[in-house]
Amino acid sequence: MTCDHLGRLFALFLMFCGAGTAFLVQGSRDFEKKAMMLLREERQNPKCFAGGMKDFTCFWEEDEERAGSLDQYTFTYAYQNENNQTCPLTTMPAEGGKLLFICHLKRLQMFVQMDIKVHREGRMIHNRSLLIELVFLLDPPTNVTVSHTGQQGQLNVTWVPPPLKYKDDSMMYEVIYAPADSHLGQVEVARASSEMILRDLQDSTKYKVQVRVKLDGITFGGYWSAWSEPVFIETLPAEIDPLIVSLTVIISFIVLVLVLVSLLSHYRFLMKKVWPTIPTPDGKFKGLFTVYGGDFQEWLGHTSGGLWFTPAFIYSEECPSPLEVLSELSICPSLPPKASKVSTTTMNKDTKTGLDECRATSQEHWLLDRLRAFQQDPQPCSQPSMLESQDTYVTLSGNRQSEDVEDTLEETLPLEVLFASRKTAMCESHSDLGSVQQSSGSGQLSSQSSFEYTNNVWTPNAPGYTYMAVADSGVSMDYSPMSRVDDIAKGVIYANDYKNEIPAHRRPLLLRQYRNS
Amino acid sequence: MLRKTGKGLFALLLIVLEWTCPGLLSPLRPICDPRVLKHFIQEAQDAEVAMKSCREGCGLSQTVSVPQTTVNYDDWEKKDELEKAQEVQTGLWLLQQALGLLGPSVTDTALNNHIDNNVRNLVSINAVLRSLNFQEYTPPANVTSLDGTWRVSSATELLQVHVNFLRGKVGLLVSGAPACQHNVS
Repeated sequence: MTCDHLGRLFALFLMFCGAGTAFLVQGSRDFEKKAMMLLREERQNPKCFAGGMKDFTCFWEEDEERAGSLDQYTFTYAYQNENNQTCPLTTMPAEGGKLLFICHLKRLQMFVQMDIKVHREGRMIHNRSLLIELVFLLDPPTNVTVSHTGQQGQLNVTWVPPPLKYKDDSMMYEVIYAPADSHLGQVEVARASSEMILRDLQDSTKYKVQVRVKLDGITFGGYWSAWSEPVFIETLPAEIDPLIVSLTVIISFIVLVLVLVSLLSHYRFLMKKVWPTIPTPDGKFKGLFTVYGGDFQEWLGHTSGGLWFTPAFIYSEECPSPLEVLSELSICPSLPPKASKVSTTTMNKDTKTGLDECRATSQEHWLLDRLRAFQQDPQPCSQPSMLESQDTYVTLSGNRQSEDVEDTLEETLPLEVLFASRKTAMCESHSDLGSVQQSSGSGQLSSQSSFEYTNNVWTPNAPGYTYMAVADSGVSMDYSPMSRVDDIAKGVIYANDYKNEIPAHRRPLLLRQYRNS
Repeated sequence: MLRKTGKGLFALLLIVLEWTCPGLLSPLRPICDPRVLKHFIQEAQDAEVAMKSCREGCGLSQTVSVPQTTVNYDDWEKKDELEKAQEVQTGLWLLQQALGLLGPSVTDTALNNHIDNNVRNLVSINAVLRSLNFQEYTPPANVTSLDGTWRVSSATELLQVHVNFLRGKVGLLVSGAPACQHNVS
């Protein structure tokens, strides 16, 4: 049992020794830190600081090589109106081959001047006067805590001040904060307070925060303490301002409404552009698809034929006018046989060109003369003898029956074409109906024509009728203008392949239309 | 008429009592703001700085007694509030006497103004102590021979003691006053 007690006592002793050693080691480390700070900040020697109300330390630094033994140095101090006192010295090695001589006092006199003198072998090497309450060097604040305040870009920093009784009102703090990857930090000062709110911080950024403390210098003063251990914290991410979101939604809604209103106001125009209506013939053919189901024959049977002769856009060509052949006239009585044969051959070869100098000179003149004479003294063309001659007069009557004709072109006016044969008879000849026969080489006009002809009196003075002399050589028909001799002289003769069809091409220069107004 | 005379006398009595005993009717509010004492300390430091730059006509004509400014924290904590208050009030009285003797011997106008401010501040500090419920104390006539005093012969020394006393004992007494501790807690 005695051994047990001894063992327990020995263990406790070791524990206390360990704790004391740890405390001393920690204290030594703390002193080294403070000493390093004062060596940088304080120029006077010895460098002195008060760690608390009962802790006062003075030291100076010398090169280890030049420093003497400890007993060579004397540290003396004296308060105002008091006697000198001596402080026992200790040494501590420092970085860079330095040696620190340290004086540590526990019983202090504050608010009174203290005179310090250091002698080495009787020679004063350092001298300084100070007030102990003005050289405090405190430990940094502990338990530094950084937390979010709930608001954007803010952090709340709290700490525990160093334990100095009744000194909280005399303490001032500095808080330094910066982004973790930045070397430049901002400093905020707080007086007689143990917390601070950092504002205007960046969102979603990791910050490093440190705090240090110093007495304000009114009653107690001193140096800035070391910075506390850094605390890292990341700020809150940026939040979308609800006001901005609501304003954005409202403005978007208003813009959308305005766009819809503008679209609706131009609905018809846009529909025409985007979705044009497919033209259908239903509008023009009333009832064709709705009643007769697209059966055009049936629809025709139940509708008037006047629709055929309506607007010009249905036909690209002019409305045909019925042609009335009145009589036939001989064309070239004075032509020499050779010339006539040559002209005929030429005509046979080039019937489509319509240009023949022989015909241009002889036929045209003859036709004009005959027609003029006829006009001046019109023969009673209604006589059968006239009609029986081989001269052919073709009358084209315009369609005046349909009133809904919108065609105002001159081509719709009735034409009267005079057919002249080779026979010299002036009177009209009555020709049989039939198909046109192109006789080549005969040189004679065919007495056959497919035009409708009547026995009606041919009155060249009928109003609205257009007159033209036509010379039919059996191969081609020559239409000669009646009123303009100049054109004939120029050799403009309209030669047409007479096929009893609506001519596809017209030569308006040769076709003179005139009206008897 | 007798009733009217009685009423008038009664009113006059109340007025007189109001003049003579103002403290009884309205207790002072504790002045615990450290900035108040800070102001007095700064003005005392201004006077000390002005005195250092004075070359002529700024000396004491005689040796004066001043309170000791030395504060041992352990010893101070062991004293009770009454002893502390008496020690502080005694020192304030001594400083008032010393500054009163310094004023006439200083010919520098600016320095004289500083000294006058400090004398008025000492009276204000007494008022602050009264607001903190410290009982008013008048030192005895032989206080100068008692312990706890020093003898100074220069104006510089006097003003230095003045500053140290305000920063030390007066400051510790005010900051540690029970009336202020109750307000903080």
